[in-house]
Amino acid sequence: MTMSKRLLISLAAAAAIAAGAAAQAANIEAGKAKAKEVCAACHGEDGNSQVADYPKLSGQHTDYLAKALRDYKSGARKNAIMAAFAGALSKDDIENLAAYFHVQPAAVSTRN
Amino acid sequence: MTKTTHFAAAAVVALAAALPFAAAAQGVPAGNPVAGSQKNQMCTGCHGIEGWRTAFPEVYKVPKLGGQHQAYMVKALQAYKSGERTHPSMRAIAASLSDQDMADLAAYYAQASLKTAAK
Repeated sequence: MTMSKRLLISLAAAAAIAAGAAAQAANIEAGKAKAKEVCAACHGEDGNSQVADYPKLSGQHTDYLAKALRDYKSGARKNAIMAAFAGALSKDDIENLAAYFHVQPAAVSTRN
Repeated sequence: MTKTTHFAAAAVVALAAALPFAAAAQGVPAGNPVAGSQKNQMCTGCHGIEGWRTAFPEVYKVPKLGGQHQAYMVKALQAYKSGERTHPSMRAIAASLSDQDMADLAAYYAQASLKTAAK
């Protein structure tokens, strides 16, 4: 392999990684606005739910929160209330909300 | 208010204070966190490890349970047991739990971990 070919491959790889990172970057401010509008009444604006039946979201893992929302949206996880709310969220909304609740002061943590 | 009703009211308050882990929902047994701490061997391998990922059928970090609402966790376990929630490992584990086990485990995990409590 020539030097220039190698350089080209590494440049392409770097570009692919950068594009991936950009696609994954969630907008926490947008998540905050959406949370206030959609989630706050039950889960609290910062996700520290005060209602025993509704889970605390603040500090929860981003990917778990996003999966829960996707599953409610698809119907894989069944809950009449959450189906309605999650069904109205876009893919970006889901990523933004998950990122927002994850960085709020943690109400949950890993317990051994 | 008479002295007797004062006393009765005080007794009710004292009783309520003595039952901090009473389940909110009717028909669900009260959970005992100490009993829960002795039943969680099947939980810790995933939920007790910071950042642990479930690998099947989808990769994501297993939820943090410390400090979560007790009533919500009982509902989650019931939903796994009934098949309403479908994660294979959780279905198998929840299927092996009695209502009392679920209440005890939820009471245990509802206690904030030391890390959260210190914050």
